[in-house]
Amino acid sequence: MTYVVTENCIKCKYTDCVEVCPVDCFYEGENMLVIHPDECIDCGVCVPECPANAIYSDADPQATETWLSINRRYSDLWPNIIDKKPSLPDADGHNGRTGKLAEFIPRPALETVSP
Amino acid sequence: MSKSFDARAPGVSAGVDDAMIGRLVDEFYGRVRRDAFIGPVFAANVNDWEPHLSKMRDFWSSITLMSGRYKGKPIPIHSALPEINEAHFSRWLDLFREAAAKVCPPEAAALFIDRAERISESLQLGIAFHRDATRARADAQSAAADRLPAERVAR
Repeated sequence: MTYVVTENCIKCKYTDCVEVCPVDCFYEGENMLVIHPDECIDCGVCVPECPANAIYSDADPQATETWLSINRRYSDLWPNIIDKKPSLPDADGHNGRTGKLAEFIPRPALETVSP
Repeated sequence: MSKSFDARAPGVSAGVDDAMIGRLVDEFYGRVRRDAFIGPVFAANVNDWEPHLSKMRDFWSSITLMSGRYKGKPIPIHSALPEINEAHFSRWLDLFREAAAKVCPPEAAALFIDRAERISESLQLGIAFHRDATRARADAQSAAADRLPAERVAR
């Protein structure tokens, strides 16, 4: 059992989840986060914290094979994120918009200067 | 940065607070230390109890009150203890259920126990994965070392 980040994180990346995760199991891509399935301890703390409601249990129908595999694959490729940072520009405008999978960027997060 | 309170945290409606977490941690680790099966494992690995209890209070505060106080990597730490297996986790959970039932009201006890069961299962899966990955790396290194002389002979 683990939790997975799904489509509505794309272009929002609020990162509130990172602050409450007890085991720092989030990894950062250019326009979304993923959860490392072998590091998540299934505590569920991140779920209510996500302003985009993008995080689901892997037993939930929203956690489709696409998202399970994106979380597994990119958590091995992207850098670990351990501190909250500003959300992406116009995150609120993208929150809840459909069809964001097509806008997924597989590149790792760009290096940023800590606030 | 950590927060002390979040209305959306699962423990808030169940009445969980720092004092209850403190009582639960004390009660649970009292039972752990007296237990003939898992007590010795803790005794061999925890040198100084107060920092460990403080860390566990932070852990349960993070889980039930979303306080962000605990940050750690429990899977690699537990993977490094070769003696622990499913039977140890099972006893750990039994003692945790007893402690929660004793010191927490029913709704809070149910919350703690639900999270303990989920976390225990994830830790066991994570440890198995971590140990397999460590073993695969060791096997690959050993195979590479075995192969080298043969390749030299073949040339």
